[in-house]
Amino acid sequence: MARIVVDPVTRIEGHLRIDVEVTGGSVQKSWASGQMWRGIEVILQGRDPRDAWLFTQRFCGVCTTVHAITSVRAVENALDLEVPLNAQYIRNLILIAHAMHDHIVHFYHLSALDWVDITSALQADPVATSRLAESLSPWPYNSVQSMRATKAKLESIVASGQLGIFANGYWGHPAMKLPPEVNLLAVNHYLQALEYQRKANQIVTILGSKTPNIQNLAVGGVANAINLDNQATLNMTKLYQIKDLFDEVLAFVQQVYIPDILAVGSLYPDWLGYGAGVTNYLAVPDLPLDTAGTQFDLPGGTIMNGDVSSVKPISRFGDEYFRDNVEESIAHSWYDGDWSRHPYDEDTVPNYTDFEDDGKYSWVKSPRFAGEPMQVGPLSQILVGYAQGHDLTVKWVDTALSELSSRTGVNVGVGHVQSTLGRHAARALRCAIIGDLALRHWGLLVENIGSGDTEIFNAPVFPRGEQRGFGFHEAPRGALSHWVVIENGKIKNYQAVVPTTWNASPRDAAGQIGPYEASLLGNPVADPERPLEVIRTVHSFDPCLACAIHTLDVEGNEIAKVRAL
Amino acid sequence: MPAVTVFGLGNILMGDDGLGSYVIKVLEARYEFPSDVDVLDAGTPGLELSTILEDSGALIIVDTVRAEGDAGTVKIYRREEILRHPPAQRITPHDPGLKETLLVLELQGETPPEVLVVGVVPESVEYGVGLTDAVREAVPAAITAIVDELERLGRPALPRDPPLEPDIWWEREP
Repeated sequence: MARIVVDPVTRIEGHLRIDVEVTGGSVQKSWASGQMWRGIEVILQGRDPRDAWLFTQRFCGVCTTVHAITSVRAVENALDLEVPLNAQYIRNLILIAHAMHDHIVHFYHLSALDWVDITSALQADPVATSRLAESLSPWPYNSVQSMRATKAKLESIVASGQLGIFANGYWGHPAMKLPPEVNLLAVNHYLQALEYQRKANQIVTILGSKTPNIQNLAVGGVANAINLDNQATLNMTKLYQIKDLFDEVLAFVQQVYIPDILAVGSLYPDWLGYGAGVTNYLAVPDLPLDTAGTQFDLPGGTIMNGDVSSVKPISRFGDEYFRDNVEESIAHSWYDGDWSRHPYDEDTVPNYTDFEDDGKYSWVKSPRFAGEPMQVGPLSQILVGYAQGHDLTVKWVDTALSELSSRTGVNVGVGHVQSTLGRHAARALRCAIIGDLALRHWGLLVENIGSGDTEIFNAPVFPRGEQRGFGFHEAPRGALSHWVVIENGKIKNYQAVVPTTWNASPRDAAGQIGPYEASLLGNPVADPERPLEVIRTVHSFDPCLACAIHTLDVEGNEIAKVRAL
Repeated sequence: MPAVTVFGLGNILMGDDGLGSYVIKVLEARYEFPSDVDVLDAGTPGLELSTILEDSGALIIVDTVRAEGDAGTVKIYRREEILRHPPAQRITPHDPGLKETLLVLELQGETPPEVLVVGVVPESVEYGVGLTDAVREAVPAAITAIVDELERLGRPALPRDPPLEPDIWWEREP
């Protein structure tokens, strides 16, 4: 038996540590550990609930907008405050643009190189690569010239002796299986994707005034004054700029991202069989269509034990089925006690013990739904939508399944999607679905403004006494919820139950392992010194521990450690 | 297209890591800048940073640095020193930071002509709002380094008279 520890010592302290025990070439036991303490309630206690979003959006440098919007939704829920339609649509457009940016970056820039071998791309024939690309998609930027330029760029990087951004990959690893032309195509699209993630982010900048930290939110609505004839406000020019950007990004998703996922996926069919892990799925509804949040364009719900017929809907802001079933356990987390509590009733008293395999080993708590571990993320959202017959989801999933089936010769069904590769595919499909919905919500916004409605804000009123509320958002990494207790207009308690907490959760009081841990069991590991397969499965969840710090390491101490013990 | 982008990196919720945001707020309160100079509190972005830096000219970055020296020591670096060591293995989306963004811009042939990092060695990067005394005392020196670089780049900052009160909203008592 070998024990492998993947412990990235990034910045000053680590984020996520993964330990696996490998016997006979596959993972038999695993632990996921968050390596940094956080406790937003310590910072928020006593503050004005109207300011909470300014702080929560600083939780995490990547998920700024999602924590901002979830926070205002939580306070609005506590006050029973509806927000004007324009505000819902503007928020929805920001959420979608951010998610599209995030999904594109995740696939191309953070995880594609787990599957794509840069060094193999050097052997590719640019003519054959272009021909292959043109057989897969009508995308107009797959020319021989473009592939040649990418290959020349790679050659010059390798010749310089410094792999630059491509340093630290597992090049030449035996688990890399793509032919040279597919590798070159993927590198070409890696470069193109850099352009399109920026375009998606430009939408957030136009609507949010600024990124990474948007400025346009308020408890009760948004601060985007609407006047179609005024340069300084949200006007027709800006609205059309937003639509053009969505059109461009959506075309990239439909004609590049989805074909790439299907091409790479069909060449790694084994990975439709690894990484299922916890097959209980949780997604919350999003993209509200009314002022109170009772109708949504993306469905939410739960599925237990991988059985899509078990689906139960979560259907509105304040939904009791969601509210009453969430709790967090600290039995194996570095906090004082071993309780399981509802988020309204939690406290955060650190109690660090060192890494104990059978005791406490993570700063991450263990969220549970009706006592069960749940997987969250695009796969959950896709399955919950598919199970409820959501039109767009059914259309995209069926198209992808039949395409994968015809290319692999295997009858790929919904069961196969519950896998490492399935999580990547689901993310791409979700990106296409929300792209379609962006155009719909853009149309709804323009139509509503056209009808003469320019309302953007309902002023919140804080009564004496205590109010409790929660807000949720189906974020890029899955179901996010913020829980707030307000007393006499000040914050008394605040908890954020974030997607990576659901997925990276350690064991709970009943000893049930979390989704990362479960997904690693049975994964092959060809080379314990280079555990690429472990990285593949962990990356498929798009991990993000809400604890961003940024301390630049110029003296080279910043290293990811992989230790094979 | 800005000729110079001055931006602070770091997290206001993580003690001394809030230095970058703090310095930007003080800078904005004390100086006025030419119209082609962007001044920005950027937080802790991942690859989103490439959107901010797209088409920018010179970059001036203020950040905490992990380096030899006592807390509060101000260190100055240029691009070659930042990129001397390769970036680490990517695990989470936070990992692509400044180094990776510079490499990505290079890959796209959009390398900024000048890069200066004004770094301060932190004392404590732990959950909580507010700078330690050692790091707070380094703020004037960090500001001088930024103002000098703007002067050198031909885009001098003009002192406000009288200066404004810096908007350090996160340090206000609840």
